[in-house]
Amino acid sequence: MDILGFLLHGFAVALEPQNLFLALIGCAVGTLIGALPGLGPVNGVALLIPLAFNFGLSPTAALILLVSVYYGTMYGGRISSIVLNIPGDEPAMMTTLDGYPMALKGRGGEALGLSAVASFVGATVATIGLTLFAPLLVGFAIRFGPAEYFALFMLAFATIGGVTSGSFTKSLLAACLGLLLGTVGLDPASGVSRYTFGWYELYDGIDFIAALVGLFAISECLLFLEDRHQTTGASRELGSAIPGMRRAGACKATIARGSLIGFIAGVLPGAGASLGSFLSYTLEKRWLGRQGDFGNGDPRGVAAPEAGNNAAAGGALIPMLSLGIPGSGTTAILLALLLSMNITPGPLLFDQQPDMVWGLVAALFIGNVMLLVLNVPLVGLFARVLRAPSWLLMPVVILVAFVGVYSLNNSPFDLYVMLAFGVLGYGLRKLHMPAVPVVLGLLLGGEMEFNLRRALAISGGDWSILVGSGISVGIYAFAATLMVAGLVYAWWVRRTPDAG
Amino acid sequence: MTADVSPPSSHASALGDRIAGAVLVLLAVAAWWHARTFVTGFRQAVGPDVFPRLVCVPLGLLALYLLIRPGINARWPGRAALLRQAGLLVLLGGYATFLEPWGFLPATLVGSVLLMRLFDAAWRQALASGASLTVILYLLFEFALGIPLPDIPGLGV
Repeated sequence: MDILGFLLHGFAVALEPQNLFLALIGCAVGTLIGALPGLGPVNGVALLIPLAFNFGLSPTAALILLVSVYYGTMYGGRISSIVLNIPGDEPAMMTTLDGYPMALKGRGGEALGLSAVASFVGATVATIGLTLFAPLLVGFAIRFGPAEYFALFMLAFATIGGVTSGSFTKSLLAACLGLLLGTVGLDPASGVSRYTFGWYELYDGIDFIAALVGLFAISECLLFLEDRHQTTGASRELGSAIPGMRRAGACKATIARGSLIGFIAGVLPGAGASLGSFLSYTLEKRWLGRQGDFGNGDPRGVAAPEAGNNAAAGGALIPMLSLGIPGSGTTAILLALLLSMNITPGPLLFDQQPDMVWGLVAALFIGNVMLLVLNVPLVGLFARVLRAPSWLLMPVVILVAFVGVYSLNNSPFDLYVMLAFGVLGYGLRKLHMPAVPVVLGLLLGGEMEFNLRRALAISGGDWSILVGSGISVGIYAFAATLMVAGLVYAWWVRRTPDAG
Repeated sequence: MTADVSPPSSHASALGDRIAGAVLVLLAVAAWWHARTFVTGFRQAVGPDVFPRLVCVPLGLLALYLLIRPGINARWPGRAALLRQAGLLVLLGGYATFLEPWGFLPATLVGSVLLMRLFDAAWRQALASGASLTVILYLLFEFALGIPLPDIPGLGV
């Protein structure tokens, strides 16, 4: 079958009533999570994973639910940026620059409508890109052996976080810490217990999901307890979203450029949505120069970053699905879900589980349309939920996380693990050390070690097999190029004043 | 993530980085040393100790670099905030400990009311919302999702 045939088959899967319903729920919940300040996409998806498990969903259905949440959070992040001047999540940061000034001028509804269309276009471009490019990448990756996979993991660790966070040393350090934590448990190849110190609960390794929820959600609550900001937003009338949607026609060049830049930023390993929205906004500003009124409520300043971050979110799914290497924090968590369900993403997934892959892609197309439509009636409602008091919101988040994680294994031990990782996550944030590489290390460490051992078993212990093929040398060269690009980018951010 | 958007004025001394560097150097050395206990009865090209040790090398070197050349840190919280954070951890640790011996309903009721108090709710708000949240969670997990939660000893609910 060609791509079109697969895609049609995917639509048949995604249009099953249960999957359609899950996509709808996911979109609505995702938008809400994205809109709530502090509860970004990573936290939101991490929080929902235990629930998705408990629903007893099939892997395809669970994945459809969670990617709908993922796309939804990208849509939702802009709501609090525009209404409250607080980005709902990190990628929505750039949207505050022109979105909030628009809201202050009483054009909040217009900004929301315009950004909804920009988000829709960005996400659709990325989903089309996913449909076209993922199979190409798979066709290439199918020839990879263990040594090439090992190189690919090195690529992921060398680049993740290096671009978005300030310090490259700290990202690498976090990745090493994650890899070391990933070795805890019984060694699958020999049955030797490593770093378990007699705790039999650790024999299966550290539970990914308890660790994730702790690193992101619990640390968020700890952080919240220290600054307790009061949210005071533009309480003016928002106005209707419809004129803003019409207005999108005038910004179509901006939206197109933003989508393209965002998509490329998303596909690159280690970059993700924040880079997508940042690049789209700054490049648009340079491109238009003095023609724009950026920073004072220029509609194009809302359209560009929103197209960019949604396109990047879709683009980041490409390396995750086709290589098993996530391109961003949230896709790392989606990967955790798949691995916990005993599904290993990668080229073989497209062969063995076409229903799942193409059903997922089709669900993304459908979810996008749902998000655009949902947006018109629900924006006002979401804007109101944003004013829910934090004494209610935070305890609800914490308890849902607790009960969810507990019920995975009915084990209080997982709750202690979650708390310990909460403290670790809080410490990392305070040290400006990114948490995502820790998660990646924890997740990918096992697979990385497995490939290393297999490669060396094939070569009879000769380490030169790791650089023995053109492909693996190429991957190392690509990693080096991306690292240099990251350093150049960091330098460029430092000399661009509006870097946030 | 909120830590990343905090204004640069809040960057304090880099003491945190030095402490983290020192802790991680120790961790790398200890993990390397502990890996000697990973012995197998049969010969493998790569034994179970090789990969952890391979990770310990960059971990230790990078941590040493951090110790010598620390970067920027966020401002650490004051005493009041630290107390609240410690309160949260004690509360949640206690919840995890008492969940099974007490059963879900009493443990969650107490836990949620105290949590809401910690986040500055008034007693009346905390009691009402805590009770509703407990019941909603119980119904959601026990009946809607069909996942058994710990019962109250002797009562069967």
